[in-house]
Amino acid sequence: MPVTSYRSASCGCCKGWVQHMRANGFAVRDVVVADVGVVKRRLGVPARLASCHTAEVAGFALEGHVPAADVKRLLQKRPQVAGLALPGMPLGSPGMESAYGKEAFTVMAFTRTGAISSFSQHAK
Amino acid sequence: MTTPLRRRQVLGLGLAGLGTAVVGPILWDRVQRSAARAQPAGAARLGSRGGVADLELVAQATRGSLPGGPAELLTYNGRSPGPLLEVNAGDRVRLRLRNELKQPTNLHFHGLHIPPTGTADNVFLSVPPGGSFSYEFTLAKDHPAGLFYVHPHQHGLSADQVFGGLSSALVVRGDLDRIPEVAAASETVLVLKDFASASGQEAAMGIGRMLGREGPLLTVNGELNPGLAIPSGGLLRLRLLNASNARIYRLALEGHRMVLIATDGGAIATPESLEELLLAPGERADVLVQGDQTPGTYRLLNLPYQRSGHMGMTAAEEDPRTLATFRYAGSVATLPLPTTLIPVPALPKPERTRRFVMAHAMGTGMGGMKHDMGAMGGGGMAMGGMGMGFQINGQAFDPDRIDTRVALGSTEDWLIVNDDVMDHPFHLHVNPFQVISRAGRPEAQRRWKDTVLVKAGEEVRIRVTFRDFTGRTVYHCHNLDHEDLGLMGVLQID
Repeated sequence: MPVTSYRSASCGCCKGWVQHMRANGFAVRDVVVADVGVVKRRLGVPARLASCHTAEVAGFALEGHVPAADVKRLLQKRPQVAGLALPGMPLGSPGMESAYGKEAFTVMAFTRTGAISSFSQHAK
Repeated sequence: MTTPLRRRQVLGLGLAGLGTAVVGPILWDRVQRSAARAQPAGAARLGSRGGVADLELVAQATRGSLPGGPAELLTYNGRSPGPLLEVNAGDRVRLRLRNELKQPTNLHFHGLHIPPTGTADNVFLSVPPGGSFSYEFTLAKDHPAGLFYVHPHQHGLSADQVFGGLSSALVVRGDLDRIPEVAAASETVLVLKDFASASGQEAAMGIGRMLGREGPLLTVNGELNPGLAIPSGGLLRLRLLNASNARIYRLALEGHRMVLIATDGGAIATPESLEELLLAPGERADVLVQGDQTPGTYRLLNLPYQRSGHMGMTAAEEDPRTLATFRYAGSVATLPLPTTLIPVPALPKPERTRRFVMAHAMGTGMGGMKHDMGAMGGGGMAMGGMGMGFQINGQAFDPDRIDTRVALGSTEDWLIVNDDVMDHPFHLHVNPFQVISRAGRPEAQRRWKDTVLVKAGEEVRIRVTFRDFTGRTVYHCHNLDHEDLGLMGVLQID
């Protein structure tokens, strides 16, 4: 399944997520843009769910370091959502592996109207 | 000269109902003040007598309650913020730190010009659980008057401990306090500090360690929206300290301008009237407010500020939030504003320029991590290296590596480059600096600083003379999560 990922040139972690997605069988086009905010607004990513990079897959938005397993479940179940978001840059999420530690995180689903729900929880 | 601080601790906040679900908006504004009081605590202020300050801070975990449930806060002497420490230039200071935490801690005397070694501002020493240490140093007779900041600097745990509640404001009395208009002003120290909610759910909403943790509970001197006084007709001297882990405050006082008279390291030369004031973690500012408006109530506001603009985010909080409410009280003879303060001399021409580039990145070596693995609870890296963290010039902090060697008495320009998607407040220990230019634009007025906000993508040139003290110290990002995640370097002054 092709994924298009948008990031700013200076972000130090977005490439790690691209590699994670490729390692999990996704064909990822890695696009550097001047203003990622433009992409986020076009895809309707709620501001408070924002992370560094933003991607598109099969009409869904993917915001931040969303694990490939969650993306696969999204594509299987096709819920009535605009996309998934992992707000911020949690340590231990794909592309954010760190010896400094891990943080628990929750992947959110959001709709075009801005409704937000929990999609998956990931323990430390 | 000063008005007693009204301190009610944050521990007594008693509102249930901050949403427990992770999903949905964080209920930023549903926290309310409560008059409930915390467990008995030590004195609200500790000072010097006859040229000697004999002080004790006990770092401890204190049970209390936050909106949403019980919480364990970290306190000095049962208080968060800890007691206000007040000393005079020229004083001998002896400060005994007792560590009743379950983890090591230590103290940094943020902004003081004292040795970085021995029993002074030595952030490389560590006080084990159950241990104690006596910090001892003498402030120079001509040490600038100002508002300084005592907080833990235990690498790998600094953010946890400061975010948990450990901080004390430190007032040094001296030159600025003797200016008649300043001396006549009514003085209030405001320690600005955000706390996590009892549920801590905000981390799940993305405000984790990489961005630097913020909490939804905005306290002033440990209280939510305290009531404070403006002397009608007179001058109010607000002394502001940002003791938060990562939150940057954009402050405005309704109906009033704030007249800046001092920055981190002491007085500026000429008062400067401001509509609003940006205060990054570790920064301080003294402002005068004239009580010349219609008596009433005026809110001290925190306006929205975006500290990760290059991530395309809008501000996490989109509306102004009330920090404190001021009421006109009493009536005093009209006090004029001072017209001049204390000269800030130009520093000598720099002998060299260095460049420091801050960014987050995947590291390859182990760097300083070998020292942190214990504190961080281990956690091996499948990929071998240390993984994601922050770096200066491509290297994460290593306490055993000297990154920058300078000569005592020399002057240097440091170009601080933020090549990251979020803001980094840059802090240098021991020696104050002056900001020369920001994004290529010269600064309008010289100011003594020890912490400067370098916004995402920005470059700031600072100038510093390394005076009086040799030894090993550090410079780092004062978003303390970033510091703990590697954004720190070691400076050796020979």
